[in-house]
Amino acid sequence: MIHSLAEQCRKQLDLQRREFLASSFCSFGSLAMAAMLRREQSATAGPLSARAPYYDEAPAKSVIFLFMAGGPSQVETFDPKPLLNKLDGQRRPASFGEAKYQFVKADAKLLGSARKFTKRGESGIEVSDLFPKTGGCIDDIAVIRSCYCDKVVHSAAQYELFSGRTFPGFPSMGSWVLYGLGAETDSLPSYVVMADPDGALEAGQPMYGNGFLPSAFQPTMLSPGAEPVRNLNLPSGVSLDDRRATVDLIQNLDRLDRSPLDQELAARLETYRLAFRMQTRAPETFDLAQESKETHELYGVGTEPTDDYARRCLLARRLVERGVRFVTVVSGGGPGNMQWDAHKDVEENHLRMAAQVDQPIAGLLTDLKRRGLLDSTLVVWGGEFGRSPEAQVGRGRDHHNLGFSMWMAGGGIKGGRVVGATDGIGLRAVERPVHFRDIHTTMLNQLGLEQDELNFLHLGRRERLTLIHGEVIDEIV
Amino acid sequence: MTRSQFRLWALPVTALLLSAELAQASDKADRVFTQKERSHWSFQPLADPEVPQFEASGDNDWISTPIDAFVLRRLNEAGLKPAPRGDRRTLARRLSYDLTGLPPTPELLADFEADDSVDAWPRLIDQLLASPHYGEKWGQHWLDVVRFAESEGFEYDRHHDEAWRFRDYVVRSFNGNKPFDRFATEQLCGDELAQQFEGDDPRTNAELRDALVAAGFHRLGPVRRNAGNPEIAFSRNEVLTEMTNAVGTVFLGLTVGCARCHDHFFDPFLQKDYYRLQAFLAETHEFDTPFVDPAEWSQWKTRHDDLTQQIYELKQQSGNANDDEAERIKQQITELQSQLPAPLPSLFSVAGLSDRRTPIHLLERGDETKQRQPVGMRVPSVLVDNDVRELSQDTPQPKTKLAEWVTSPDNPLTARVIVNRIWQYHFGRGLVPTANDFGMNGEPPSHPELLDWLTRHFIETDWDMKAVHRLILTSSVWQQSATSPQKKQAEKLDPDNALLWHMPRRRMTAEELRDSMLAISGELNERLTGPSIMVPVSPELTSLLYKPDQWQVTEDRSEHSRRTIYLIAKRNLRLPFMEAFDQPDLQTSCARRESSTHAPQALELLNGRLSNRLAASFAESLTAEVGSSPERLVQRAFLLTTGRQPTEQQQRAAIEFLLSHPLREFVLALFNVNSFLYVD
Repeated sequence: MIHSLAEQCRKQLDLQRREFLASSFCSFGSLAMAAMLRREQSATAGPLSARAPYYDEAPAKSVIFLFMAGGPSQVETFDPKPLLNKLDGQRRPASFGEAKYQFVKADAKLLGSARKFTKRGESGIEVSDLFPKTGGCIDDIAVIRSCYCDKVVHSAAQYELFSGRTFPGFPSMGSWVLYGLGAETDSLPSYVVMADPDGALEAGQPMYGNGFLPSAFQPTMLSPGAEPVRNLNLPSGVSLDDRRATVDLIQNLDRLDRSPLDQELAARLETYRLAFRMQTRAPETFDLAQESKETHELYGVGTEPTDDYARRCLLARRLVERGVRFVTVVSGGGPGNMQWDAHKDVEENHLRMAAQVDQPIAGLLTDLKRRGLLDSTLVVWGGEFGRSPEAQVGRGRDHHNLGFSMWMAGGGIKGGRVVGATDGIGLRAVERPVHFRDIHTTMLNQLGLEQDELNFLHLGRRERLTLIHGEVIDEIV
Repeated sequence: MTRSQFRLWALPVTALLLSAELAQASDKADRVFTQKERSHWSFQPLADPEVPQFEASGDNDWISTPIDAFVLRRLNEAGLKPAPRGDRRTLARRLSYDLTGLPPTPELLADFEADDSVDAWPRLIDQLLASPHYGEKWGQHWLDVVRFAESEGFEYDRHHDEAWRFRDYVVRSFNGNKPFDRFATEQLCGDELAQQFEGDDPRTNAELRDALVAAGFHRLGPVRRNAGNPEIAFSRNEVLTEMTNAVGTVFLGLTVGCARCHDHFFDPFLQKDYYRLQAFLAETHEFDTPFVDPAEWSQWKTRHDDLTQQIYELKQQSGNANDDEAERIKQQITELQSQLPAPLPSLFSVAGLSDRRTPIHLLERGDETKQRQPVGMRVPSVLVDNDVRELSQDTPQPKTKLAEWVTSPDNPLTARVIVNRIWQYHFGRGLVPTANDFGMNGEPPSHPELLDWLTRHFIETDWDMKAVHRLILTSSVWQQSATSPQKKQAEKLDPDNALLWHMPRRRMTAEELRDSMLAISGELNERLTGPSIMVPVSPELTSLLYKPDQWQVTEDRSEHSRRTIYLIAKRNLRLPFMEAFDQPDLQTSCARRESSTHAPQALELLNGRLSNRLAASFAESLTAEVGSSPERLVQRAFLLTTGRQPTEQQQRAAIEFLLSHPLREFVLALFNVNSFLYVD
């Protein structure tokens, strides 16, 4: 029998829950059993139907991931290092230990930062002058200054950031979240990626993909043009009424067919209803003209260099407002210097890149907050790694994976806090190191998901988002 | 439950998992397997089960093949009855999709319906098994399992322009009914087989060419190329891992990859066993074998290697050069690159290079910098006596040794695994539902005796795959209807249909769907073999490529309508149509396609460019064929898409629709109905 997907998914989730319970201690097991039963009751027909999280009190319903592709420099953004400026032009003192870069050789010289840092907000967290507007939201932001990951080249690090593996083929966090929680909207795709129109990234399309999860959990790439969602527009010469008649005919022919409609075939009929609803309702969502002038100005829509990223951030808000689960908004694309990949001149690159995103990001946080959406929307900011304290080709910086900054806001995250620290030159996370897997685990946690429970049987293994167990960053939840 | 409660509950479990994760490689004595592990079903020699006998004449009437006897016994035990035989049209359509992945022509259906000779069914089976489209359909199954792609993935996603030859080799092997042990051997050690033809020109010696192309199997995994500071040992470890895992998954049905970092959690498979298996591949490296005259090759190589070395040295300098120097170096590099001789045609293959053999060690947590004891080649411990010694790392023809073991009739896994795969592609579910995992964590066989009987039969008939098809397709089990009168009761007893009380209905695969739409609308270009095709795609898609100019649309437009198996399998650009209908992602082995149902599929078929373009052609060819009578148009269109006439009510609804809507829209609707998309 070919199971309907819903059945397959439910089986997967049930099976692993039972296994998990069986292997745990009884007294805790009964507690978990209650939660499991509740979840089962809420599971309805489709693979995408909304499912209750594991924890009742899960604050976040949606995630917006502001992906700074190419790897922004920690020492130019959220991690001030006066010592680095003092040591500018010198070799790295041996006491800081070793680091392996992609290009920079062992004899490279340290490069001080030209950025000015100021204490912002009531929390007084230091933020550089690249992010004056975002700095204004710092009391809602938890800055993690001690991030690290396993790879120092783009593609592998991008895969690790999105899927917890340094190679392609694993589901991205958006697909996992959709698999775990289902969708809350039936007129919009629920996992959306808005790439930078400047071009693609090294890890390419597989980075965002559903890997081995069923295609119901695939990302929808929103395009900037006249057709934001693939196949949403009618073919030329076909009116909405024509299409409605065709859909009616399809449903009629199916109902009048010899073989009776079972659950799976009925689910197919339902998808036509959904498709039709997407066609009629989605365009309204993408119409930014419905927003006030004041809102446009808040994000920086209509002014350069912010217009493009501002539009995508504003759309991200409109999407989560309508129940979309996961939105990735990419800054940077195409050749390295069009990303945050500042090999040649970090000053030139980061001034340009930050100018495009600072106001839109601040606008997004402000707007979410004033609409009461920030509590239920987890905003994550970061790149696939940071940059080297050493100079490359004059005033550039190489890739660097041992210590860099990311931040989280909203979705129950306690703002105005700093987690962890790098050493005196921003080389290595020395205090409270936070790996991507800890970011993933914290993100799942805020959504009420748990890394072991959220798994899928693939090639004989119950695979999950994290390869090695991550830990929730307790200080900020 | 609150989060703190949950964590309290989950903590001990997490700690358990963590402590297991931290179990590290050591030189301690090998773990002793328990009796339960040693006696796991798939590690046992094949049994020689008796075909069940029945007394009731009703039972004996139903049984056409030994397969039926084994299945019927389980059904009887469960108090279930098989479903009635499917009608002739249904069976012929099912057979056509099963063996060729294409819709049956109306003529084929009519002929078979009218043919009342006793051997009409086996003759139809033979006719379709002899069709060149059989290899296209079954070749795709194999390509799924070996994660075939023609690009490397990761950031460069470099194309291998000659990898299509592997696809053709697979299609040809299925069409020629190559014995599976030979098929496996060529893929496992083709480069070593090729050595017997040394000095021959692969352009004229087909056997040599096939052996080299087949060995490309070892290169099918994603490859990460490194820019900047090279990570040679790390990359080599990645390549060895891909090769080793593939041998385990594809041929042995074992998730050996789990043992790279620690002894397998679920299976009696030691970490040492993993590296012993890897040792067979220690000297295997990617190698593009020149597809030219040997003398021309040697000249080319001298020139090419010299220039490449110069370029490499310049690149090393440029990393830390200042702007001016970097610019000068860049110019020099460009100049040298322009002098590089044009690439020679070559075969995508591997070579055993003994001077570049990687010394194989047990690696702590799979980390190539943490080498522990050296290990030699040996097959997994659970399958051999403890006193079998490792072969030394410099044993010549190592992959031939591996292939001999993999295809040995005494190997309890290989034949069972492929027989189970064949069964799965016919029934949607394997006798072992986890086709890539025959270990202790996989599901046990639903009919262990049938699996062993069939496997034994397979080996006795010299690994003849078409013989297995014939047995299955002539069985009464396979010829059951998809609906059963006792559905309500049977669903309660056996909701998964593991006992096969009816034939499962299935949705077409992405390839079948595209190919069918092409065939029905009269656009299918049936050309076989050849380099892969790139079809036009929207600029939004190529803009998602790091190197958009990799997508060079094939100039000859008639090529765009080739069967899907001939479209390029590019890891970083998959066609959205294929993606929506669960084409696997080309990154890891896919043992069984998912079949999901969601709104983007409906949008693809309703508004997509492919379905609308083909609906227009279909409408045109239909009118040309039967004229403008609505009845005839509706009937012919139904026949082509669903294999049968519409019901009266369907016919009425269709004609009513045509009163106010164009034919194009009506046939588009037919591309969307269940009786087209599903195979009963």
